[in-house]
Amino acid sequence: MKKTELLNDLFSFDGRVIIITGGAGAIGSALAELLGNLGASVVITDINEERVKKVAAEIQEKTGNEMLGLVADSTDENQLRELVDKVVARFGKISGLVNNVGWGAATPIWGSDTDKMVKSYKLNTLSAYNLTKFCMPYLEKEENASVVFSNSRVGNTPSPEFIEYSTAKAALLNMARSMAVVGGPKVRFNTVLIGSVDNGESTLDAGFTVEMLQKINDSIVMKRRGFPADIAQGIMFLMSKAASWVTGVDLTLDGGGRYESKMPKSD
Amino acid sequence: MEITNLFNLKNRVAVITGGGNGIGKASALILAQAGASVAVSDLKLPDAESVAEEIRQMGGKAIAVECNVGKDEDLVNLVERANAELGGIHILVNNVGVGGGGRENPFKIGVDKFVWVFELNVFSAWRLSQLCAPYMRDGGYGSIINITSMGSINKSPNMSAYAGSKAALNHMSANLAYDYGQYGIRVNCVGPGATKTAALASVLTPEIEAKMLAGTPIKRLGEVEDISGAVLYFAAPVSEWVSGQVLFVNGGGVQTLD
Repeated sequence: MKKTELLNDLFSFDGRVIIITGGAGAIGSALAELLGNLGASVVITDINEERVKKVAAEIQEKTGNEMLGLVADSTDENQLRELVDKVVARFGKISGLVNNVGWGAATPIWGSDTDKMVKSYKLNTLSAYNLTKFCMPYLEKEENASVVFSNSRVGNTPSPEFIEYSTAKAALLNMARSMAVVGGPKVRFNTVLIGSVDNGESTLDAGFTVEMLQKINDSIVMKRRGFPADIAQGIMFLMSKAASWVTGVDLTLDGGGRYESKMPKSD
Repeated sequence: MEITNLFNLKNRVAVITGGGNGIGKASALILAQAGASVAVSDLKLPDAESVAEEIRQMGGKAIAVECNVGKDEDLVNLVERANAELGGIHILVNNVGVGGGGRENPFKIGVDKFVWVFELNVFSAWRLSQLCAPYMRDGGYGSIINITSMGSINKSPNMSAYAGSKAALNHMSANLAYDYGQYGIRVNCVGPGATKTAALASVLTPEIEAKMLAGTPIKRLGEVEDISGAVLYFAAPVSEWVSGQVLFVNGGGVQTLD
């Protein structure tokens, strides 16, 4: 094969239909744009219809590939079934799924309760289980079908500051590994464990100050927080043909990690 | 980053050990495909030369260097030649590996043999990293990829030297990632499962292969291209925020010889 043809082949997503949940957010939309640029038709979902339509239209404009924005509440089983039906009705197939939706807030470790814990499990874990289950009949028909789970470094390290989020993510991590064991050879399942990412405004919304963020940047081995594109690129690799013998792995995308605690010090 | 730049290694120089065959050869070729100039080193110069020629045939730039990674003067020579003849060093693939194959009976293996395995699998990778890092730092781009093994986390019979050395390589890489990160140098490992190389062929029987596949979700053994794809990922700007990691490429399973 000639120079560059091989690379184009390994990282081509031509003809592939990929669903990204939480696709209107920073990481989801960066991934949608990347996969669109590499040839995929992408469906992004979000709980906010106006936002998801707007983001999909913007990305379609940039990539020139079809980008469908669909509203779906990932905690609602029926809405996830409808989502799969809509995607299949439009494209006739599903070749990849990125379970990217997730959210968590800081909670003192003894400050949670059953409702909060269950709510987090439903959003961060059960949502991915249900959607993956509904997509499986379609994924199994596709070549190099791949499911990637957006997870977090809080999912595999002690994270008492985020007890609801971290325990749900830990469950998600093992769920992905279990799916990988039975999913092959037809479907691959991999996880990305995401470190501190610069999500723009939503990072500031979460209560971090500019000074705190600078401290985090300094404490990371690669001396900066990740950009959404850094995460998107890792997910893209795991979904590509280049990774066709890769399943059941947890790939940490965290700039080499930190020397310090995950929570910024207040001094 | 522009799409076309994600895997672009134009004007980058890669040094690879054990580049004459198998995973090393596949890695040399894919890095060249991405535009890198490659110093292909091997214990057997004709093997290295053959890969370098293949790269030149496809329009790339490559040199072949004879290198016994157990000899410090050979490592120094490899790095000096790569820098002098290709212009800097940005990528290092420590691919050489020896030992394993269930041939390390702990009652019988000699001290010399055990030390030899560690010298080639661990020390050479550390020393080449030390020799290449200044060029990477000064050249503004650095990625070190160490080829480890599933043996680094598995327990296998008669594999204590090999598996121990690969575990050491993993953790040494994680520590070097910390040390070198501030200079923009990333250090990661690729951990192949049972991959169809000459080394595997020397111990593989149909019975062993069947047993390996029974425990492997993706029902085939690895091809060298499966491993070189992961090498390219870590070598290229696409992973510029990824360091200190071990990526296992193993079809989702564990393949052992027992």
